[in-house]
Amino acid sequence: MTNISNPAISVEALGVAYGDHSVIENISMKFPQNQITALIGASGSGKSTLLRSLNRMNDGLATVTGKINFHDVDINQPKVNIYRVRQQIGMVFQQPTPFPLSIFDNVVYGLRLAGVKDRKLLAERAETSLKQAALWDEVKDSLKKSALALSGGQQQRLCIARTLAVEPEIILMDEPTSALDPISTTQIEDTLVHLKKRFTIIMVTHNMQQASRSADWTAFLHQGELIEYNQTADIFMNPQKKQTADYLSGKFG
Amino acid sequence: MKKWSKQLTSPSAESYQEVTGKIISFLSITIIATLVITIIVFLTYQGIALFTQDHVKLIDFLTGQIWKPGQNLFGALPMIVTSLLVTLLAGIIALPLALVVAIAMSLILPQQVYKICQPIVELLVGIPSVVYGYVGLTVVIPFLQKMFGGTGFGILAAIVVLFLMVLPTMTSMTIDSLNAVPKSYRMASAGLGATRWQTISRIILPSAKGGILTAMIFGMARAFGEALAVQMVIGNTTVIPHGLTEPASTLTSVLTTGIGNTVMGTPANNALWSLALILLVLSLAFNLLIHLVNRKGAHHS
Repeated sequence: MTNISNPAISVEALGVAYGDHSVIENISMKFPQNQITALIGASGSGKSTLLRSLNRMNDGLATVTGKINFHDVDINQPKVNIYRVRQQIGMVFQQPTPFPLSIFDNVVYGLRLAGVKDRKLLAERAETSLKQAALWDEVKDSLKKSALALSGGQQQRLCIARTLAVEPEIILMDEPTSALDPISTTQIEDTLVHLKKRFTIIMVTHNMQQASRSADWTAFLHQGELIEYNQTADIFMNPQKKQTADYLSGKFG
Repeated sequence: MKKWSKQLTSPSAESYQEVTGKIISFLSITIIATLVITIIVFLTYQGIALFTQDHVKLIDFLTGQIWKPGQNLFGALPMIVTSLLVTLLAGIIALPLALVVAIAMSLILPQQVYKICQPIVELLVGIPSVVYGYVGLTVVIPFLQKMFGGTGFGILAAIVVLFLMVLPTMTSMTIDSLNAVPKSYRMASAGLGATRWQTISRIILPSAKGGILTAMIFGMARAFGEALAVQMVIGNTTVIPHGLTEPASTLTSVLTTGIGNTVMGTPANNALWSLALILLVLSLAFNLLIHLVNRKGAHHS
């Protein structure tokens, strides 16, 4: 159904189960480089679970079977260094989660974890990532202030900047705008379009308009199965499966 | 119109409930406030009698080293020093242990272990101090006799008993403050490539700093005010201690030993009231410290 050569990351026969309860079964798909891929589907379709498996955030919570290929390495093996994986595959969560630190310390948190101490480098990366996340102009004079004083939308862009600062290849976003107002949502969507020049973005969303506006590719999941996966325009204009058409027209969801 | 006017402006069961509630809370607050003020006024009145009626100088009381009420010598320094020393050492030993146990229980060990250990810690918090004193007499003192010779009664025994007593309090309060740190911080930190230890040391502990400090001060305040368990093991001699294995007295232990053996209104009795006043002032200082720490913590977030 899709011919993506040279994907940023791909999964083969991926299955995820919480205890005996299987959430995802036998999903295989490739995520294209420097594109935005949206995962859509009703609550409980397994889209967030799929997303979290990609950087091993399901470790300790669920059993993940199958292969996750990143640079020709199966990162679902036990011996994989999950800390390095997460430096390459970052994640932005549904709720903004700024740490109770200054704005600057939040942005460079991941770099400091990786052992970067050079102040000049930290300052450069902080500025670059805040600019990439379209937050620099609003906070450049208050980098030492607490991140908790920012508005919800600013906090989420800060969390995006925090992920960008580590310079990952892939950014996973779990409903990044569902806790935000429409203006903040638009700002973040605009940011995403700029970001895909340098990063591969995979995003879970409940918002159909968001998927159709921002995503290049869209995958529709239903009850733990991948039903349809195609370029966004094709999925929305010309869905091949009845379930997809029903979901997109709001018959369930 | 008239019907509506009556309906909307006359009192009902709900408005009576509000009024009753207000009266009950006001009465309760008044009783508590009166009680506290009475204690403070009474203690101050009795506590300064030694200086106003018996003409003992405050400076002699605070810096004098000899406590012989029979000879009109009222030097409280040995007790003040011992009380602070015992409290501080017990607190300093208990804090790292409480912190490690709390981190292990709330952040590292599986949930099942937490569910078993948490009630045990809570149970230890509620054990009466006489039991800790008894454990001190039957376990700690024989052990110290073997280790250091002598009677075993003394400062070290008191420190060990107080350490055992405040450890559960500190642990339990530290666990509460660690649990109050949002779980989302852990996910976010892990998502940026942090190990569990990095998350604990860089995010969770700094966030819980205020609560942990409060736990420590609260534990030490409890140790400072403890009378019975200390009196059972400290040896009760009113001298400035020169070593950890020597017997000594704290403010509280002198009070419990002496209050039944003196006659109300005599200088010896007044001197005990003065000790109690010092105890109250220092306890208030501990409480103020907790408030200051909390206010600083609240500012941060």
